Amino acid sequence: MATTPTPGRRAAIVGGNRIPFARSNSAYAQASNQDMLTATIDGLVARFGLQGEQVGEVVAGAVLKHARDFNLTREAVLGSRLSAATPAYDVQQACGTGLEAAVLVANKIALGQIESGIAGGTDTTSDAPLAVNEDLRRVLIQLNSAKTLGDRLKALRGLRPGQLAPEIPRNAEPRTGLAMGDHAAITAEEWEIGREEQDELTVRSHHNLAAAYDRGFFDDLVTPYLGLSRDSNLRPDSSMEKLAKLRPVFGTGPGATMTAGNSTPLTDGASAVLLASDEWAAERGLPVLAHLVDAQTAAVDYVHGGEGLLMAPAYAVPVMLARQGLTLQDFDFYEIHEAFASTVLATMKAWEDPRFCKERLGLDAPLGRIDRSKLNVNGSSLAAGHPFAATGGRIVAMLAKMLHEAGPGKRGLISICAAGGQGVVAILES
Amino acid sequence: MTESSPEPTVLDAPPSMAALFAKAALTSRGRGGDLPGTRLARRGVSVDPADVADYARVCRFPLTDALPVTFPHVLTFPLQVALMADGSFPLALPGLVHVRNRVEQLRPIGRGEALDLEVWAERFARHRSGATVDLCASVSAGGAEVWRGRSTYLARGARPPEGAPDADVEVEVSEPGPGAITWRVPDDAGRRYAKVSGDVNPIHLSGLTAKAFGFKRAIAHGMWVKARALAALSGRLPDAVTVDVGFRKPLFLPSTVTLATAPRGSGWDVAVRNADAGTEHLIGTVRSG
Repeated sequence: MATTPTPGRRAAIVGGNRIPFARSNSAYAQASNQDMLTATIDGLVARFGLQGEQVGEVVAGAVLKHARDFNLTREAVLGSRLSAATPAYDVQQACGTGLEAAVLVANKIALGQIESGIAGGTDTTSDAPLAVNEDLRRVLIQLNSAKTLGDRLKALRGLRPGQLAPEIPRNAEPRTGLAMGDHAAITAEEWEIGREEQDELTVRSHHNLAAAYDRGFFDDLVTPYLGLSRDSNLRPDSSMEKLAKLRPVFGTGPGATMTAGNSTPLTDGASAVLLASDEWAAERGLPVLAHLVDAQTAAVDYVHGGEGLLMAPAYAVPVMLARQGLTLQDFDFYEIHEAFASTVLATMKAWEDPRFCKERLGLDAPLGRIDRSKLNVNGSSLAAGHPFAATGGRIVAMLAKMLHEAGPGKRGLISICAAGGQGVVAILES
Repeated sequence: MTESSPEPTVLDAPPSMAALFAKAALTSRGRGGDLPGTRLARRGVSVDPADVADYARVCRFPLTDALPVTFPHVLTFPLQVALMADGSFPLALPGLVHVRNRVEQLRPIGRGEALDLEVWAERFARHRSGATVDLCASVSAGGAEVWRGRSTYLARGARPPEGAPDADVEVEVSEPGPGAITWRVPDDAGRRYAKVSGDVNPIHLSGLTAKAFGFKRAIAHGMWVKARALAALSGRLPDAVTVDVGFRKPLFLPSTVTLATAPRGSGWDVAVRNADAGTEHLIGTVRSG
């Protein structure tokens, strides 16, 4: 059921900054989430002259997070060149974290509660939080609460050598035990997404990202960090022949199509976006690249409901379109996060499918086809990599710049799928 | 560096610190005379990113593209020890007390920059309880100086040469009030810093080795205390910065200490004190430029 949009002020996207994304255990192996987020915020501060300034709020998060990082964003702000009087808080919505952070900041700006804010995200799969074995943890808690020597000895009797193996965070769904890639493989099979079209999308992502770097598009969006100046997953010479050689890693049997090439690798990185009211930007002589017009989240029951884990954006988009009185074709750019090539393809296929649109989305007619030449034109996660919480900020800043370059009145759609069967989508307009 | 400086001796690799400390201990007797004019140098030194990361972790610096302000000290320190361990140096290295350290960063130094290092000793001075000497360091990149260091050491009971100037060990600082920052410094703090700095002076490593040199327990490295105090000011330091600190009473391990910081103009005054007794371990100034 669509609600009526509230007219009023919209948050401007002033610009962004990110560090190049690094494949897991490579250039950023020694960097913590706090290091990367702080460096990214400081890059943004340098770019927009915010040294010592107090912005309304900084909102960011990480998906893989150490217990000690309970106040990650505030800690990053305190170590940054922003004024220490800048408030901050953490959000976590799996891979939707970065975009959700931007929506939260934008909403407060739209409501007039703040005049400026920074939205961001960071993730490291290298400096990941290992936890003690669950059985060992219980023994230690019991030991810690033991009052007498007898109680302590009793607790210690629970110790087993096998408990020394730590709990390693896994990219798996707690309720199904399946890796995200295995879930995506189920969806790929259901929607009959072929190997070749996945590889084609992958090659295009690499070529588009490389071309964007080559023409200097990222010069004011990316700041080098720890020796990297481009995303280390980027393969400018990626080709169908090379990708065809890779063996499937997700799914089973002869129908398996998903490889390490057409799936995003584990990546480290961080991103940040500066949002503000038009007045705040004008006072400082800063540009307004685009406005955040609307956003929507959705969730699907991938556990018992028979829907694919990463299909929630397919549900979120029509709700937002109806609210804005737009069709799926009313956009100049589409940024569909490439968690897996098959996810992008399945989402688009679902929007073209009359039955899915009628039965699942409750629409009279399918949303229809997207002009592929407007899709991920400067590359996406397959090429750049995907440090979970950092992807939203990467896309928001990049799309805002693309819209600004295209001229006034241009419109872009962002669609990001997330673990837990969730999706976050948004519309930007120049 | 003045024009009359002698040509430095250029070393191809950092000298082994453990060997130097051993040599200095074995040859500590019978030293005297004036300071040698020797200068030691290394050229085109590139920093191992893993070493910076380890140092940053132990001192609590964030990992950025620039070297931590105090990091060049660990690059130049082995050369300074080589200078002091050499038989021509008039004071015995064991027993020297680090009483003051001043570092000047002229601009942030990138992790990838090739650095030229040069060290020398100067200012053999008269102190009320002995003599002091300054071990100096200059770091250049692309022919321009980017960093300077000056460590003042006190040799108790030593006699400076005739006509020596008075020692300059006092840092002028309007002392900040009580500190809001508390550090629990564990008993392995010296060993951890030794690993990342190469400063394996036995007085920092264990109670036993410290006792051999007259300390009741192991003591923290002054340069670690200084580095950690600066790390606490991350994001709030000017790019060109001078940090001048005096080391007061030894920080025995383990200890709980407080760091007090007070803004002064474009900089800070800092003090590290024992959390219970209030004994001062470090006082200093952080100034722009």
